[in-house]
Amino acid sequence: MNAVTSPGVHWDPYDPKYFANPYPAFNRLREEAPLYYNAQYDFYAVSRYEDVERGLFDRDTFISGRGGILEIIKQNVPIPKGVFIFEDPPLHTMHRSLLTRVFTPKKMNALEPQIRAFCAKALDPLVEGGRFNFIDDLGAEMPLRVIGMLLGIPEEDLKSVQHQANEKLRTDPGKPKDFTDHQFVGEGFEEYLDWRVKHPSDDLMTELLNAEFTDETGTTRKLTRDEVLLFISILAGAGNETTNRLIGWTGKVLAEHPDQRRQIYENRALIPQAIEELLRFEPPGPSVGRYVAKDTEFHGQKVPEGSAILFLVGGANRDPRKFTSPDKFDIHRPRVPHLTFGYGFHSCLGNALARIEGRVALDELLNRFPEWDVDLENAHLSSTSTVRGWETLPAYTPKAGKAKPVAAAPVAEEAPSGERWKMVLKTPMGPQEMVMTMNRDGNSFTGRIDSPMGGEDISEGKIDGDKLSWVMNVTKPAKIKLSFEVTQEGDTLTGHAKLGMFGKSALTGERI
Amino acid sequence: MVKITYITFSGRAHVVDVTPGGTLMRGARDNNVPGIDADCGGACVCGTCHVYIPPDWQARLGKRTEIEEATIEFSSDVKENSRLACQITISEDMDGLVVHMPETQ
Repeated sequence: MNAVTSPGVHWDPYDPKYFANPYPAFNRLREEAPLYYNAQYDFYAVSRYEDVERGLFDRDTFISGRGGILEIIKQNVPIPKGVFIFEDPPLHTMHRSLLTRVFTPKKMNALEPQIRAFCAKALDPLVEGGRFNFIDDLGAEMPLRVIGMLLGIPEEDLKSVQHQANEKLRTDPGKPKDFTDHQFVGEGFEEYLDWRVKHPSDDLMTELLNAEFTDETGTTRKLTRDEVLLFISILAGAGNETTNRLIGWTGKVLAEHPDQRRQIYENRALIPQAIEELLRFEPPGPSVGRYVAKDTEFHGQKVPEGSAILFLVGGANRDPRKFTSPDKFDIHRPRVPHLTFGYGFHSCLGNALARIEGRVALDELLNRFPEWDVDLENAHLSSTSTVRGWETLPAYTPKAGKAKPVAAAPVAEEAPSGERWKMVLKTPMGPQEMVMTMNRDGNSFTGRIDSPMGGEDISEGKIDGDKLSWVMNVTKPAKIKLSFEVTQEGDTLTGHAKLGMFGKSALTGERI
Repeated sequence: MVKITYITFSGRAHVVDVTPGGTLMRGARDNNVPGIDADCGGACVCGTCHVYIPPDWQARLGKRTEIEEATIEFSSDVKENSRLACQITISEDMDGLVVHMPETQ
């Protein structure tokens, strides 16, 4: 096995053929050319778990200071201070320690309610549509809003920031990205930063502006304006791109494994391990590049100083030496750490955030869509030097209202007197149709609600101008007290119902 | 080889043989002991190899290092006897060491 004489094995990081499914190539590289050399683009690659782990940990041999993306290393792109992902000690140590303070798992986990709210905002309007898009509707929305909230970027400006970050990474299919005119600058954030200097808040931007550290000259100082801008630019890109891809893979892989999706739907305690398995199975960042700072060896073969090398995380995560039946997606596999968040000093700072976002996204998806199919005909993969994932991924859901139509609901035998309203309540189990019959009496009313689940009398019916409120206790599917608050506008009702401990659900209704 | 016992939060004991010279974190990771994530692989930048040291071992293992003190801030449920397993090098006299793990890393 020799790096140079393995003619049967080929892998080209830019070829769309490999991009669509790199695993057969990774499997061959791992077994037949554990140290692979690609003469066309002049780089080395290792793909065994042990080698990727060793390489990512050995920061003296495999340095980050020349970049972590193949093109940046090869094109010798200058990297300014502050691009902490492409730094070496001592600067990297200082910059990273500043950021770790704000990205602790504890702080990230505390964001769960906001992450849930962003998911709800993105997904609620889609519940009845029968179609949604994992990327356009959720992946490109929620992580962006979370990082925007952390950085303090106004909501209305988030999309342009995202567009800018994505354009920086996108490649033309089939060829390396030209970085020769690329400059690492925190463009687009100057205004926010200057505004934030004058108006401190409790966001990350303010924290970065005020944090003090000891720099490489031994001086205790704050970050410069340029450093803060670069930090923010990197975090904004990292925070929206990678989790977006994780959400896409969640949609694709679980659609192809409906049995496991069903198990997760029924037992949400499986979500964390499902996300770990998704991260192993389809890593959003399948390769990591380094510059070889001194001669080294893999499998008895020399890798000379000055080379570029790729560590194939996507290969390592499916190394049979480390994982049993690695090409099988199995949420129940024993926990062996994957290398998707990298390894060593540059391991992903945002891993706790990515994990909580991935978990909440899956939970909230299942709350609304227990099943879905992906429309691969109309889906396509993104083309960038750093991430692999879906650029757009449409999905079908079984049509809303699978339950029996309201007309067939058991209503009272004699047509009841009084007003009748047909209402739809968007519950976590999907939309529920129901018909309310009500009789007004001054500021109060009585009546009943019939639905496919059965009929119940309502109580505490109150009228306050155009506001109606009432309570209904249901026993199916669970014993829950529903408290309704709606506004009447002519022949329509809008409002919500509190579903016991399950939170609020939106309600709409029309007179029939 | 020295015997190290890692006890998970749920109380399950994993007894493994570890070669002196390596770290307490590697002992767990190399033997697939669940509950020690060690995302950064011992770079002391992630705080996900957090363990609790029983009182009778605390003095023998020494205090947290300076860098460990900074990183352990990232861990949950930090107590007075918390350490990061990547910062403890296994030596011959650690045979029989027992460590406990927190609920989450």
